[in-house]
Amino acid sequence: MSATVIRPDRNFKYWIIAPAVFLLLAVGLFPLIYSLIVSFMRIDMMDTDTSFAGLYNYKQLFRDARLWQSLLHTLIITAIALPLELILGLAMAYLFLEKMPGRQIFVSLLVLPTIISPIVAGATWRLLLDNQYGPINQILGWFAGERVNLLWTISPTLVYPAIIFCEIWQWTPFMFLILLAALSNVDKSQTEAAEIDGASFWRSFRYIVLPAIWPVMAIAILIRGLDLFRIFDIIWALTMGGPGTMTETISVYTYNQGFKQFETSYTAAIAFLIIAMLTIIVTWAIRRMGLAK
Amino acid sequence: MVTRRDVGKIGLAAGLAGSTSFAARQAAAADAAQTAVDAAKQFSGQTISIVWEAGLQALDPLNFSGPKWKELTGIDVKVVEVSTAEMFTKIMQDYKSGAGAYDALNVIPSWMPDLVNAGALEDLDPYVDKYGYREELQKIASTYRDNQMMVNGKIYGFPDDGDVFVMYFRKDIFADPAVQAAFKEKTGKDLAVPATWADFDVTGAALTEILKDKNMYGAGFFRQPPYTMFMFQERFRNEGGKFFDADSMKATINSDVGVKVLTDMREENKWMPPGVEQWGFVENLAAFLQGQTAMTISWPPYGRWAAGYGTDQEVLSWVPKSTIAGKVGYAMPPGGHPELAAGFCLSVASTSKNKEAAYLFIQWLNSEATSLQRVQLPYALRDPFRDSHFTSAEYLAKWPDAKHYLAALQAGATNGLLDLSVLQTDKYEEVLRQMISKLWAGEDPKAIADAAAAEWDAITDKIGVDKQKEVYSSWASKSGAYPKM
Repeated sequence: MSATVIRPDRNFKYWIIAPAVFLLLAVGLFPLIYSLIVSFMRIDMMDTDTSFAGLYNYKQLFRDARLWQSLLHTLIITAIALPLELILGLAMAYLFLEKMPGRQIFVSLLVLPTIISPIVAGATWRLLLDNQYGPINQILGWFAGERVNLLWTISPTLVYPAIIFCEIWQWTPFMFLILLAALSNVDKSQTEAAEIDGASFWRSFRYIVLPAIWPVMAIAILIRGLDLFRIFDIIWALTMGGPGTMTETISVYTYNQGFKQFETSYTAAIAFLIIAMLTIIVTWAIRRMGLAK
Repeated sequence: MVTRRDVGKIGLAAGLAGSTSFAARQAAAADAAQTAVDAAKQFSGQTISIVWEAGLQALDPLNFSGPKWKELTGIDVKVVEVSTAEMFTKIMQDYKSGAGAYDALNVIPSWMPDLVNAGALEDLDPYVDKYGYREELQKIASTYRDNQMMVNGKIYGFPDDGDVFVMYFRKDIFADPAVQAAFKEKTGKDLAVPATWADFDVTGAALTEILKDKNMYGAGFFRQPPYTMFMFQERFRNEGGKFFDADSMKATINSDVGVKVLTDMREENKWMPPGVEQWGFVENLAAFLQGQTAMTISWPPYGRWAAGYGTDQEVLSWVPKSTIAGKVGYAMPPGGHPELAAGFCLSVASTSKNKEAAYLFIQWLNSEATSLQRVQLPYALRDPFRDSHFTSAEYLAKWPDAKHYLAALQAGATNGLLDLSVLQTDKYEEVLRQMISKLWAGEDPKAIADAAAAEWDAITDKIGVDKQKEVYSSWASKSGAYPKM
């Protein structure tokens, strides 16, 4: 009697994952490479010129003042909204850390804005901020004792506060939820010991709580930072980038170039500029925040 | 005679009401509509798609013409509703992808050079000849027929919507002796519907002061940039402005006229209702129908709804109830040459897999017999565009002042100004929209006009000066491009 030893195919595992890998390459890598190729052509609404155009579109990027302005607008919104969301989210998380009556209901209610589609949230805020029919001017009018006619989505001085307020309203609960989870996992014995030793709240926070929640907080900052960098929906619903191009962010500008002006190749070049910038920023942030460890 | 109640039934019962007279008319003469129906029967059981502006406009094919076409030919009509802002994009995307998802199209006439140059539209001449439609096409009002139908000498769209700006004013206010006396005292002039923009500014400002106690304003306009862009184009040309230097193709929207128009527009906001800068179509409509403004300028549906025509229908329940029915007069906007703002042509997509059936559908829609029914649908926003529409006994009897209304539309069609239509029109229009937006934000009119002109020049340079010059010259030579001074 002879025993036949069946050796498992050592490559079988690769065959198993091959369809998934192929799918990922098809829907992820192929469009990326194709966009890169398109960015070296001169395809626009009028021409489908697929001949190699060299760095033409990339040179255009540096001459396009509106592009850099839109990038600046994006950074302004990010630089203001992100810290405010973080601080408010952290404060709210501290507030709800202790057990209190109705805590779960309040937490659920607070999270509601994050489950609304941003475009719906933007459209809703546009109605709320409408100077003729919106309740916000009406409520302000009650306090002022006269009709208030603030043009929230037109006035250059009001339009950024309006956008940032909407953004904070919708996404602070996201920060709050994540930070609440992180704070709940902080070892209370350490903070209690520090308190007994006479450490102030701030010292306790700085040297015990912050190091404990930092990995989670850093991830939250990173996610929200990236979200803010690609902010589109709320701006589109509220101002469409106006007045003029005053609130046009990089995403709004890219959309306008790609899908309204049909500057296909140039838009591909913008997309690769954004990818390059984000790669640098994210890599730097991950190292700086110690997330790579 | 068809009453307003009958018209209501037309809308809700998918064209059942009125179909008797409709069918009779078709039977009486082998007109273009009947020809299209007869020929289309060979495609019975098939489905064609048509891109239509979302909202009220689309109720025409959804409630009336689509079901009627199915009943007559057995062809299903799939209505693809797209917002106006997305229509060009969707049509181009479909064309560029070669998907052929759309058979028939609604196209804004100013887009036609771009769509034709891209290859997205089908040349309709062979079909027009094959189905004997040329004669009926000639009965479209000349402004639309001569200016909005052809590109490079070929037919690419049937003008199908008589969009034109009309000035609506409160007859009762202008005829009120007390208001007339106060106006005379304040301005030294007799109160009259303004014929020039200078008169408009004086009249509007004075009426705002005189009517203050009644909580009324001299005038209100839609001021959101997409609408105001059309108003700027109209006013700029009525005041003598030209878009380009015809020789160099340098933009001249920053001329003295351009700066004056921008400056005046912003000054007017001071005596118009607070927040008018944010007004769109609906806000302006609401203010006028509720009696808050004495004058406004808008598209033809305002006139119908102000008279209360069709507003009892459920689909128009959002239209504020008119408090001014019977009190509205119709006139040409100041300058006398109204903008033929937007409008629609019916076209066939070059990527359609069912071009013949698509063509027959649009011929039937656009024909004298069918279009007369369609422009009377109170909810569908299609405005009279054929000579016969303006003189239709049925339409003239719709409300007491309908004859004045139709006369104003006909005058508008005769004197109207075409939207600028060159290569990549939307890029130029986008600059104008940005310009208006900056104007409301308080920036210096001269500076924003200069910036806009520079952007126009950059667009022209990119397209190619000679290439654009050829298209612009062709457009500028049309009868409705600039007023005859």
